[in-house]
Amino acid sequence: MRLDVNVLGTFYRMAREGAGLAAGRLTGMTGVETRVGVTKLNFMRGSEMRTEFEDGTEKVGVRVELSNGFDGHSLIVFEREAAKRVVETLLDAEIDDEFSEIDRSAVTELGQIMNNGFIDGWADVLGTVIDISTPEFIEGKGVEPFFGDLEEAPDEDDLALLFQSQIEAVGTEIGFRHFMFPDHDTMAEILDRQRDDSHQGIEYDKLDGFDQLAQQGADAVADTATTMTGIDTDVEIRRLNFLSLEAIPEELSDEMLVGVAFEFDGLPSGYLLFLFDEESATEIVEAMLPQAPDDPFGEMGKSAIQELGNIMASGLLDGWANVLDTTIDHSPPEFIRDMGSAVIDPVIIQLGENQEFAFVFDTVIEAEDHRFDCDIYAIPDEDDLERALNDLDVGRIEETPTTAEFGELETDT
Amino acid sequence: MKTYGSEPGTPTTDPVQIGISEFVVTEADTLKAYGLGSCVAVVLYDEEAGVGALAHVMLPNGDESDSSDLKPGKFADTAIRAMLRRMVEEGASYTDVEAKIAGGSDMFEFESFGDGVGRRNVEAAKEELEKLGVPLVAEDVGGSRGRTVIFNAETMDVTITTAEQDTAEQL
Repeated sequence: MRLDVNVLGTFYRMAREGAGLAAGRLTGMTGVETRVGVTKLNFMRGSEMRTEFEDGTEKVGVRVELSNGFDGHSLIVFEREAAKRVVETLLDAEIDDEFSEIDRSAVTELGQIMNNGFIDGWADVLGTVIDISTPEFIEGKGVEPFFGDLEEAPDEDDLALLFQSQIEAVGTEIGFRHFMFPDHDTMAEILDRQRDDSHQGIEYDKLDGFDQLAQQGADAVADTATTMTGIDTDVEIRRLNFLSLEAIPEELSDEMLVGVAFEFDGLPSGYLLFLFDEESATEIVEAMLPQAPDDPFGEMGKSAIQELGNIMASGLLDGWANVLDTTIDHSPPEFIRDMGSAVIDPVIIQLGENQEFAFVFDTVIEAEDHRFDCDIYAIPDEDDLERALNDLDVGRIEETPTTAEFGELETDT
Repeated sequence: MKTYGSEPGTPTTDPVQIGISEFVVTEADTLKAYGLGSCVAVVLYDEEAGVGALAHVMLPNGDESDSSDLKPGKFADTAIRAMLRRMVEEGASYTDVEAKIAGGSDMFEFESFGDGVGRRNVEAAKEELEKLGVPLVAEDVGGSRGRTVIFNAETMDVTITTAEQDTAEQL
């Protein structure tokens, strides 16, 4: 199947619209004011879903099977605590830790109404009727009870196209996530039907192949971080997201962020950011310098962070260039320390002149003892990425060693 | 960010977050655009009528873009026109509307950014205001730091906080 950016854009809007419908219905039912959080198209591997889902919290879900015009599954998931709060609102009564039969059916009904909101949105856009099975109530921890038995849920190393939306109740801790697992053949057929011939699109297998290699590039970056800071690190999360440019800053926390930004030029060109929260950045400065400076973000600290960023950037982009058999140059590092979204909005503005959506290679590196996190955002120019991937020889994917090689340390001093 | 279930005009205690490409017209709410880098916040208000609006603008020129019909709030020119129209519908009188703008920093000196993405946004906003004859009474634009802009429609006050200082400054 081929991924046409315009069609993916339509799907994105559809998912967002569906989230709006679902949020509206939730409000109608509970009287709680709601809003739609980030909506994403994820290209996600089974292993990543596992990591993301296994945060140790009890969850509750309502799942339906879809057929006829659209095969797959739709699933509403909420934290057990949130589900409890909603049921209390709905039934206007305190409930025990264990869900009773009545509580379960209240949750199921709610989940069903929200599932329907999403599915109605899809059916509208696709101009088709989608059949929905009887809802199934699920509770438990981890991936297994929720997706374990689904054929279209990705295996460990498979990249699946997945739709995720978040709905929050304003002023409360109640939040929901919606997952849509389309069946591969259904998706391929829909993508094909919606495609207009003026766009070449991206071969799905190439994107998958490239992402596999990007994974190894990310591992190499984590290794560099370990080498330079002496702190063991690992790639914690790696996702390939497709989302509207405006949604990218929404993902960042409202806290102060410290980071290093680069522009890169070649096939593809784009922007690359390494972002740390202040605590993480301080940890890194202290690990890299022989003596902890008074001000971690003074000249010394700044250049330590820039140096680390520079070497990580070279590693990541050299890895890409190897796979794509091309050269990618990057600018000198630009240090930034500012409030959340301000660190990334210049980049999305620049890209926004020519594109509405972006593929974001989103990686989180974590120190094993959680001494620091690093968020990596690699955002290629859309046309460039499409061209680069279409030129990609899939045969190379098998044979290219992607371990990025790190050259001698270049320092300013 | 769009919320579902709130009655228009109901005063809320929490500021309403205005995400990128969004704008809101209000008579009572407090509106907040968080973490503006090169984006620009445009505040329009008619003190007499008690109607104000805030847009979190991302790009300069909507007239050249196909998507400005869908998202007028995304572009400086179309956002200003759309807010003004909505404000007049809500009881503002065109000639009494005044403007304040903030944001449009340029924190990166990348080659691809030309003379600065923030600067382009600020220029576009000013140009549109001038074209429409809306007086720009205050601005805090440019530089290389992020800003958070809060507009209180009760008092018509605009306050700005930056990463360097915790205290909000009145614009």
